Amino acid sequence: MAAPLPDITLATPVPPPLPSLINARRLRSQRLGRALRLWVPVGVLILMLAMCFLLPLVVTLPSATAGNILYNNEPPFSPGHWLGTNVQGVDIFSQLVYGGQVAFEIGVAVTLIGIAIGGTLGVIAGYGSGWVDAVISRVLDILIAFPALVLALVIAEGLGPSEFHVILALSAFGIPAVGRITRGTTLTIRGLPYITAAELSGTRRWRITVRHILPNIVPALVTFLLLGIGVVIILEGALDFLGYGIQSPEPSWGNMIANGQQVLTAQPEYVLIPSLALLITVASLNMLGDALRERWGTQ
Amino acid sequence: MSGKHSMNASGGQAAGEPLLSVRDVVQEFVVRQRGTPSRFISGGGGAKAGVVQAVSGVSFDVMPGETLGIVGETGSGKSTLARALLQAPRPKSGQVVFRGTDLTRLRGHKLLQARRHMQFVFQDPFSSLDPKWRARSIVEEPLIAYRTGDRPARRKRVDELLDLVGLDPARYAKRHPRELSGGQAQRVAIARALALSPSLIICDEAVSSLDVLIQAQVLNLFEKLRGEFGLSYLFIAHDLALVKQVSDRVAVMYLGKLCEVGPGDAVYREPLHPYTRALLDSIPSTEPGAKRTAATLKGEPPSPIDPPSGCRFRTRCPRAVEQCALEEPKPRELAPGHLVACHFPLSQPAPAITGAVPAKETVL
Amino acid sequence: MIDALLQVDDLRVTFSVGGREVRAVDGVSFTVDPGRTLAIIGESGSGKTVCCRAIMGLLPTGTAIGGSARLRGAELLGLSDAELRKYRGSDMAMVFQDPARSLNPTMRAGLQITEAIRTHRKVTKREAETQAIELLRLVRIPAAERRFHEYPHQLSGGMRQRVMIAIALACRPKLLIADEATTALDVTTQAQIMELLLELQEQLDMALILISHDLGLAASYADEVLVMYAGKIVEQAPAARLFGSEGAVRMRYTRALLDAIPHLERPAHAELPVVGGRPPDPTALPPGCSFAPRCASAADDCVAKAPALLEHAPGHRWACWHPCENGVAS
Repeated sequence: MAAPLPDITLATPVPPPLPSLINARRLRSQRLGRALRLWVPVGVLILMLAMCFLLPLVVTLPSATAGNILYNNEPPFSPGHWLGTNVQGVDIFSQLVYGGQVAFEIGVAVTLIGIAIGGTLGVIAGYGSGWVDAVISRVLDILIAFPALVLALVIAEGLGPSEFHVILALSAFGIPAVGRITRGTTLTIRGLPYITAAELSGTRRWRITVRHILPNIVPALVTFLLLGIGVVIILEGALDFLGYGIQSPEPSWGNMIANGQQVLTAQPEYVLIPSLALLITVASLNMLGDALRERWGTQ
Repeated sequence: MSGKHSMNASGGQAAGEPLLSVRDVVQEFVVRQRGTPSRFISGGGGAKAGVVQAVSGVSFDVMPGETLGIVGETGSGKSTLARALLQAPRPKSGQVVFRGTDLTRLRGHKLLQARRHMQFVFQDPFSSLDPKWRARSIVEEPLIAYRTGDRPARRKRVDELLDLVGLDPARYAKRHPRELSGGQAQRVAIARALALSPSLIICDEAVSSLDVLIQAQVLNLFEKLRGEFGLSYLFIAHDLALVKQVSDRVAVMYLGKLCEVGPGDAVYREPLHPYTRALLDSIPSTEPGAKRTAATLKGEPPSPIDPPSGCRFRTRCPRAVEQCALEEPKPRELAPGHLVACHFPLSQPAPAITGAVPAKETVL
Repeated sequence: MIDALLQVDDLRVTFSVGGREVRAVDGVSFTVDPGRTLAIIGESGSGKTVCCRAIMGLLPTGTAIGGSARLRGAELLGLSDAELRKYRGSDMAMVFQDPARSLNPTMRAGLQITEAIRTHRKVTKREAETQAIELLRLVRIPAAERRFHEYPHQLSGGMRQRVMIAIALACRPKLLIADEATTALDVTTQAQIMELLLELQEQLDMALILISHDLGLAASYADEVLVMYAGKIVEQAPAARLFGSEGAVRMRYTRALLDAIPHLERPAHAELPVVGGRPPDPTALPPGCSFAPRCASAADDCVAKAPALLEHAPGHRWACWHPCENGVAS
């Protein structure tokens, strides 16, 4: 037996940790965590969407724009008003539901426009030749240089407030954002040997774009896009809150918060309820984006 | 050396003429301040910091049915040369005459047609196969691009090709690259390269990322295909023993230039260039009594942005004298088929030291 | 009788991948004497890297490790990170394959060395710098003072690896593990680095473990060679005996490896003796010899029962029921 050195703290071998047991347990909890992180936000979003879009078809909700002033400030869980009514007597739950419709519509519409225009530009810039990339990149840079909210304000002010104009205004932000990220991922893919191999095989560039580049950038994009929907919903809420988007009495979460400001101390629920809805929606979108990235990143 | 069933017509060339004739190919890259070489002025900018002289005037021939091996270390320019032959990207200057046509003068569709019989196998099979595609589609792609036959005919050909490379189509055709091992994925890449019945296959470190035993399998596959179809190969690697194993002739590159070209045996038994000698000495061998005794090469490889004047190897060459710095050695044929670019090749005694200025190490 | 520097007994490492058990290292035992060089040869999946990482304590927490690894009598397995830090760098050090990723790209080279020094010794910054420059000279980096201030991206691959070696040697370890340290380097650079390692070994009386897939490297630089396959040692012998003129390779897998590597002396276009198949799936190892599915000489007893690693000849151990005769595959 070798003479131990002075700084040794152990003289006998330490028994190794129990193998299978620890690993199996840890593995199961890891998997459970992963599944939860994916399906919980999916469930929440499905619930929100169902509430906003399916529920009104099934249940007749009170008007979200007009209310009976006699029944104002009803507390939540009052008969006929699940979440109560606000200062003007308008049903809060209806406002939430129809406001939610607006939020999702705008969020998805802006993102889709972003993909259609920005995504296309981005892929062309990423895969195209030098000067094409240079031109498109400069255009996108110019667009993105404007602070999103200010740009949206200007457009909304110029065109007048309406849901459609809000979509246009926010697209000015959405297009360059999607464009840049698409260009980035395209550039990454483009440098890979399998693209060169496809070119050497004689495949035309447009076909390479559609069959090789697009399928491989989709995973990276989906994550970003989900986060993007969340950002757009918040921006829309901000616009409405400032009075440049959906105008009262048309319902929107931003309006609800704006109107509820005045009675914040007395009836905080007018602000809290729409804020909570915003929070849950955006947080779920973020979590879903993260969970998808976690899954697809390892594939 | 040509195969029993030669699948390639000779094209527009006469018998006895080289299949591939490369003359004075030069390729350069602009290195920007951030250190990323770029052939284009793309979105990322930065002031031009230097020009990497990756390939500086390389000339050689490949005859039909012959395998030419190109050996070089990092910075030798061998991979850049391979890409330049394919015009991906086009070399800065020089000629690449393939089956009688100069590829450097062609564009677009004409280039595609002329290049059809020259195919490429990359080093890493997993990044040279689209991860979203199945093996069958990957192998079919060149057939679709060149519009050979209708769908059933293509499918049949794909199955034939997979079989040829040792993959059972029933089991492997539907798989994605991630469901394949390294060796299997490389076989798919080879099947793809064979799809259009090429005359020349350029293998760029095609077996370097494979395990030793799998590597041997794939090398045997190359030989089998060579015998059956009379293929020519341009086999690029950094492993001299590997290159010599598969090649008829071997070319040694250093810093963008060809040092020596000759029959594999001759280059191994009687290397004429000091760099070739150094490479041979550096290879650890499993032969008995093989403990390292030979002197190792001193110094670091110089930068390809600022290569040494005259002979590029002079800064590390044990035989360099003043002349080597002043005059660039041109390739000379010292034995049949054996060329060397050196003022004082190993077949001659070392130059007299007296009165000569010894080589200085270039310190980066 | 020289006491062994490193004594590994029945080392076992098991991972859980996707709910299945992977026995990455399955009962590995060996010793390393002070000042000697051991080469561990194997392909990917053989377990050679995992084995040495287990010794260094570099495996993720929660990996099941069994057996023992004693450095000068001190047990290394099962120690916490803090306890291991006492040994790492000062008694044992490791050099990895890819210096581009092992060096911090945002930190100057010299600083990474002084950091290593000051982790183990109480010296002032100035003293550490002097020692670091000495180390750079030790590893033959020209213009050491200038290189001290450079960033890794300004250095070539060979130089980066020298810096890695300098960091590893900062506190004069008695054992240096080189994990595919020269695989990513050019062959001429590899020769330089190996020559350097051998010289340092002599100068510092250091033991060296070379992990590689390159049998040539083992033949040229090692005193003793271990060949691993599917987590087990399949052959072990002094290099001179294995690669000597008697050519006494016994285990079929080692023979296959030797035959498969390109030899300069072999004529061109020679058909290589191949072994079909692929390395075994680590989650589904066959009950008998792991190499049996691919072995040309596999017999019924090979498939039924795994051969034990036994010392059939002095200093030479192998695990094979039907070994080669006279080093030739029969």
